[in-house]
Amino acid sequence: MAKARSRTTTRKVKDRWKAKNWYNILAPPSFDNVTVADTLADGPDNLINRITGVSLADLTNDFRKSHIVLYFQVKSVEENNAHTQFIGHTLTSDYLRRLIRRRRSKIEGVYDITTRDGAQIRVKPFAATDKRIQNSQKKIVRESMKKTINEQATKSTLSEFVNIIIDGKLGSELYKNCKNLYPVKRIEIYKTEVITQPTIKIEDKPKKKKEETEKVEDKKEEKPTKKKEEKKTGEIIEIPEEPKEKLVEEEKPPEKKEKTKEEKPKKKEEKIESEKTVKKTKKPTTKKTTNKNITKIKTLVKKKKAAKKEK
Amino acid sequence: MGKLGIAHIFASFNNIIITVTDLTGAETFSRCSGGMVTKSAKDEGSPYTAMKVAQTVAEQILEKGIDRLNVKVRGQGGNKGSTPGRGAQAAIRALVRSGLKIGKIEDVTPLPHDGCRKKGGRRGRRI
Repeated sequence: MAKARSRTTTRKVKDRWKAKNWYNILAPPSFDNVTVADTLADGPDNLINRITGVSLADLTNDFRKSHIVLYFQVKSVEENNAHTQFIGHTLTSDYLRRLIRRRRSKIEGVYDITTRDGAQIRVKPFAATDKRIQNSQKKIVRESMKKTINEQATKSTLSEFVNIIIDGKLGSELYKNCKNLYPVKRIEIYKTEVITQPTIKIEDKPKKKKEETEKVEDKKEEKPTKKKEEKKTGEIIEIPEEPKEKLVEEEKPPEKKEKTKEEKPKKKEEKIESEKTVKKTKKPTTKKTTNKNITKIKTLVKKKKAAKKEK
Repeated sequence: MGKLGIAHIFASFNNIIITVTDLTGAETFSRCSGGMVTKSAKDEGSPYTAMKVAQTVAEQILEKGIDRLNVKVRGQGGNKGSTPGRGAQAAIRALVRSGLKIGKIEDVTPLPHDGCRKKGGRRGRRI
């Protein structure tokens, strides 16, 4: 029975197989139109609305960023090339699971945001702490995250905003602002979803930027905020009135300091990841081995504790 | 250079289903399951059938000119346990053995963010 069934299926597929053509799927122009994937289809009409997930490591040849996955949707087809739009990104589940541990808290938020070119995005930041913290503290961190994300979004277009997220600049910016409220360990943006694509086409017009930043300031002044934050907002309001060149100078130096701090822990992770990749090539199933190591360590620790008690 | 595909391996405790698609997931190149390879129902989830399933799939793919794969492994998921079944390992190993290059291996088991109550009642399953 089983054999007969398999034969029939293969015949059918072969007949259709010859009629189909291969199409290249290109990344959106903000990612340099790199060919991302190949697909089969009967015709160009079937291609539209297909979605591919691509890891950033494949796009940029930077193996450190293999935990970020970008999603592109096919929008139009020319000959054998399918052009795509960016529709969102996620971090891989195993990377996220590594950050979350016992007796530590995670802070998540979901914010709907409109960028400068009229695109609506849902942004989901994620923060991990060293200790368990109270809900009131979480609330404060969440508020500050919301504020900085809103600021960045109103300044930049969709493609700029996506680039900021992928580089980790927005994460470091969030970290900088949250540091004084609570010493958060890690902040990253673990998910974005594009709800509506950009409606206005903008190509760097400096005049518009100033107007919109002023609007944002008005909104801030209306909101009643806590004492600590009032000081901060006051500082922020003063800055944009000055010419932009000063702004750039003031913003850059603190970022550099942070980068040096953050790079150290990242490098450790790279080593671990690289080791894992090596293992993967040899044996396809490495997850269990790591678990075994952890259990081994746990048992060792227990034994040590028992020995201490006896003494 | 051959083309790249995705192997979706669904390994539950009682069966294994392998579907190979293109990168969009819209076109299937081949698929095979435990029941297509063995006769007895109790063997459908065993590692040996998983190996056979993977081999048949690999044959069909190589014919069509696909020699690289990303693997997405998936267990039962939901409230029925997050670990993939015992066939998953054997299937991946068989795919490697049959001459396919494997890029990424990812676990895509659907996990609830807290969902329904697990089957079995308050006092568990009684035999």
